[in-house]
Amino acid sequence: MRKSKFWSVLVLTLISCICGFFLAWVFSLAKDKIEENQKKSIKRAVYNLCPDCERIEEKTIQGKIIYCLYDKKNNLIGYGFCSEGQGYQEKIEVFFVVDKDIKKLKGIEIIESKETPGLGARINEGFFKNQFKELDITSSIKCVKHKKSEKNQIQAITSATISSKAVVSIVNKGIKKLKTLLGK
Amino acid sequence: MKDLIVIFISTVLINNFVLTYFLGICPFLGVSRRISSALGMGGAVIFVMTLSASISWLIYHYILLRFNLTFLEYVVFILVIASLVQIVEMFIRKFSPTLFKALGIYLPLITTNCAILGCALFMVARNYNFLESVIFGFSAGLGFSLVLLVMAGIREELNFCDIPQVFRSAPITLITAGILALCFMGFSGILSF
Amino acid sequence: MKKIGILNQGLWNNHPIFRQLLGMCPTLAVTTSALNGLAMGLAVIFVLLFSSLVVSSIRRLIPQNVRIAIYTIIIATFVTIVDIFFRAFLPPISKALGPYIPLIIVNCIILGRCEAFASRNSVTSAFFDALGMSLGFLWGLFILGSIREILGKGTILGFKILPSFYPPMVIMILPAGAFLVLGVLAGIMNRLER
Repeated sequence: MRKSKFWSVLVLTLISCICGFFLAWVFSLAKDKIEENQKKSIKRAVYNLCPDCERIEEKTIQGKIIYCLYDKKNNLIGYGFCSEGQGYQEKIEVFFVVDKDIKKLKGIEIIESKETPGLGARINEGFFKNQFKELDITSSIKCVKHKKSEKNQIQAITSATISSKAVVSIVNKGIKKLKTLLGK
Repeated sequence: MKDLIVIFISTVLINNFVLTYFLGICPFLGVSRRISSALGMGGAVIFVMTLSASISWLIYHYILLRFNLTFLEYVVFILVIASLVQIVEMFIRKFSPTLFKALGIYLPLITTNCAILGCALFMVARNYNFLESVIFGFSAGLGFSLVLLVMAGIREELNFCDIPQVFRSAPITLITAGILALCFMGFSGILSF
Repeated sequence: MKKIGILNQGLWNNHPIFRQLLGMCPTLAVTTSALNGLAMGLAVIFVLLFSSLVVSSIRRLIPQNVRIAIYTIIIATFVTIVDIFFRAFLPPISKALGPYIPLIIVNCIILGRCEAFASRNSVTSAFFDALGMSLGFLWGLFILGSIREILGKGTILGFKILPSFYPPMVIMILPAGAFLVLGVLAGIMNRLER
């Protein structure tokens, strides 16, 4: 009786250790590649929205990462920042790039979203994201249903008002947070 | 406080574990035949989920993260859940033999209930703090139990309907679940602000 | 001959999804497109094959009272390997399948096969059983994913095959559609059994 219980625990521990070490080895092989992939999507977004950018420098302020963008003459040309919030279904993560005075938005990329396909998911499409290019952000962005009339307005996607409004509020929140972190 | 309410409402209604994430389907199809067994299973799941979310959070943040062992996440979580279910089973057997008999095989099946592991994984992916994780675990269990009860009620009524032979049992349950999922979709957007 | 029989069990007679009704969670969740279904199927083939092989080879050493825990640890190890592989080399698939890859661990099919077959049979038999079950799972996923993708988006594997005047039934891609399609398919399988 006693021997069998001891044997069970021994086998269990042995197998756990073997598996643990095996996993550690596999993970060490792939660790760098995984990190590289995570950085890639941010890099791709930056080069998409800001073609002049030559170099990205990461700065961490109060636990949040700010991407400082430099052109080939090493001048600071803008900032990149990730912001997230509740969308229609789930959380939406938006990455946006602003100019160095935080007066103009260069554009946005949707990093993560799980909205209704065909409706809310259209926030990923060009016609919606392009509205954010060269947008004036001296006052907060407003989401309207009709054709936009002011410089800081975005027209929502038909029958996807909530998702569109969510993106706008996430970007506004992000810009405010960026300003606070940079002390501007 | 607002965050906690958002988590609660969205996990129970909007992004219900069963109807949106398809977690916990096996017990959902198996135990939803009668309201009484659904109640028992639901209670057990709420208890195990809340506990496992809390314990998994503690282990993840104080052991796995600290020692850079995050790749052991899955192995550790499933072991925690399995042990927890074992303990709950011993507990119920001692204090309520009737409930134990009613749940029968379903209690050990909670271990393979995707919902419990899913709950732990989501909590890590969404970076919840401790309080948020506890509320999340509780809400997930509650959402699961809610849908389980509704389904049990419907199935008890379906017993009196004239269903074509080929659709009896599993197929009609799945189709009913689909219609339920459609209904729950109506909850999306109640948290828009 | 006998080995083909074992293979056949998983492919049709004792089909894991439509006959045994196991592994529902990933079946419904990842079949939003044929490609996702394929990727999940391949992941399950890897995990089931290797888990069955390992369990079968050490079956005489496993003590009875901790066998489920040991199967779970072995399965969790191989699932973690698959997850690491996807995250490193196929990030878009990893993002699409998301949390459902680690959920392979609690996929009743894998634990069920280890307990019911691999722990009691030789390595070669276990190999064929695992292959049969996982290939069966794969074609089941592919069919479900294709139906949902064709009806829901008008494409299959990304190629548009329905004419553009067909308005896609978005519901097919949503959770509700998954339940409905699987329910109807299960009914059809019941009919074919007669």
